[in-house]
Amino acid sequence: MASWLPNVIHMQSEFVQATWQTIYMTLISSLVAGVFGLATGIFLIVSQPGGILEDSFLYGLLDKVVNILRSIPFIILLAVIAPFTRYLVGTTIGTTAALVPLIIGIFPFYARQIQNALTEIDPGVVEAAEASGSSPTEIIFRVYLREGLPDIIRVSVVTIISLIGLTTMAGAIGSGGLGDIAISIGYARFENDVTIVAMIIILVMVFIVQFVGDWLAKRLEH
Amino acid sequence: MTENIIDLNQINVEFKDGEKQVKAVTDVDLQVEKGDIYGIVGYSGAGKSTLVRVINLLQKPTSGKVKVNDQDLLALKPEALRQARTKIGMIFQHFNLMKSRTILGNVEYPLFKTKLSKDERLKKATELLRLVGLDQRKNDYPRQLSGGQKQRVAIARALANDPDILISDEATSALDPKTTLSILNLLKQLNQKLGLTIVLITHEMQAVKEICNHVAVMQKGEVVERGTIESIFSTPKKLLTQEFINIATNVGPAVQKVTENPKFQHLSPDQQLVQLNFIGKSTEEPIISTLAKQFNVDGNILFANVEQLHSETLGFMILVLAGKPTDITEAISFLKVNQVRVKLLNQATESEVTG
Repeated sequence: MASWLPNVIHMQSEFVQATWQTIYMTLISSLVAGVFGLATGIFLIVSQPGGILEDSFLYGLLDKVVNILRSIPFIILLAVIAPFTRYLVGTTIGTTAALVPLIIGIFPFYARQIQNALTEIDPGVVEAAEASGSSPTEIIFRVYLREGLPDIIRVSVVTIISLIGLTTMAGAIGSGGLGDIAISIGYARFENDVTIVAMIIILVMVFIVQFVGDWLAKRLEH
Repeated sequence: MTENIIDLNQINVEFKDGEKQVKAVTDVDLQVEKGDIYGIVGYSGAGKSTLVRVINLLQKPTSGKVKVNDQDLLALKPEALRQARTKIGMIFQHFNLMKSRTILGNVEYPLFKTKLSKDERLKKATELLRLVGLDQRKNDYPRQLSGGQKQRVAIARALANDPDILISDEATSALDPKTTLSILNLLKQLNQKLGLTIVLITHEMQAVKEICNHVAVMQKGEVVERGTIESIFSTPKKLLTQEFINIATNVGPAVQKVTENPKFQHLSPDQQLVQLNFIGKSTEEPIISTLAKQFNVDGNILFANVEQLHSETLGFMILVLAGKPTDITEAISFLKVNQVRVKLLNQATESEVTG
């Protein structure tokens, strides 16, 4: 063990902490970005040309905001919004500070994914609901979100996996977590076993998310 | 005069297609009496789907008046309009069921708007499924059903809020002939049992013939001809109407087959190829044998079809008349006197001799 993992063996508590930090960052930013992304995706769908609440101004605005935010490379976004992060959290270092860029970085991606998932829903089904007297809110909750649920889960999985990737990048600016360990210890000190173990833990997390997501989506599909 | 449950007045619908303005519906009036089954026929793109969507305002007209159930729909606030829509059921070509809900759930869906409890909703949905003969399968999902069964579920769903009107948008167009017939029969039953007014749009005159009392023919956004089913079938005025009827009665294909057959392209002078349309009383008389007895003209029947509409019988026949040319001319005059429409089918040109 000691010959295989000469450095990791002395860092067990650091690894446990880093794993929790990664889970914490992923979980909180998933939840917050999930809410914003879902809402934005739904607004995009209902306000699009031919949507149930057609609004070309709102659609154009959201569409552009999403496009611009998605075009900013994450590593630059981290730096650019640092002042905003400091204003919000009081610091730019640590896991909580990392949440701000993570949320801003991932929610437009999720919004677009949600939009794509909901576009798949047969417009005829929406029309049938309208014809039966449903209001826009009823159609959003009882038709779009329900009919689209398996696909929403699938795109959520993709998003969470991307987000795990982003948390490691945030490690570059001292966010803590597995990415931070891999870069500031594994890479900087040439302690390769640290980098590899960090990677393996991340892979395990990704597999778990993928597995649970696929299972859920399949179960909900009729 | 009976009450008009649907009264569309001077309806125009225009779309913007890029920079171009496209007129989908032009100056259409449509009145449908309570309890009627009204057919709207036309090829795809004729504007029928757009027109019926004006009835429940899924399509807002550019101009015109929309009165349904004595309510001016265009004057209603959104919530009142949604309430009005619950009384206008609609079924679609592709059924439009939600695949995430069981068929019971699909039928229950429109009842979410009501104050019924969960139990009452499910009870009502089950009853509706029984009405369409699918209560045994209530826990299945739409993908487990055949097309005809899906349409039955869609009908049950459309009836959930006890509507006065049912709009059928090409509801049988994706179904095979046998299933089409069973769906049309179901619609007819519902019309009789519940007093449901039905507006049925289709490109198949066949479907109209089965159940409609009135029919309107649409072309390029306009109603070009309308009337009772009997009058439209017996004396169609527009070429388009004739085309639809010829397809529905199989006369069209038959005429084509006969006129393309070399055997009938070079008839001798004492032979004449004719198409006869019999209406009403003339179908009950032994006209062909009269021709032989009185005029010495023999009729060789190549095609015959009898259509039974509500109160009228319509007959269609293609035959070769054989006899002296003068006798044939006299025989044709005799036919016309007896209210038979005669159309001479010549090899090159088809000339019409109306009676």
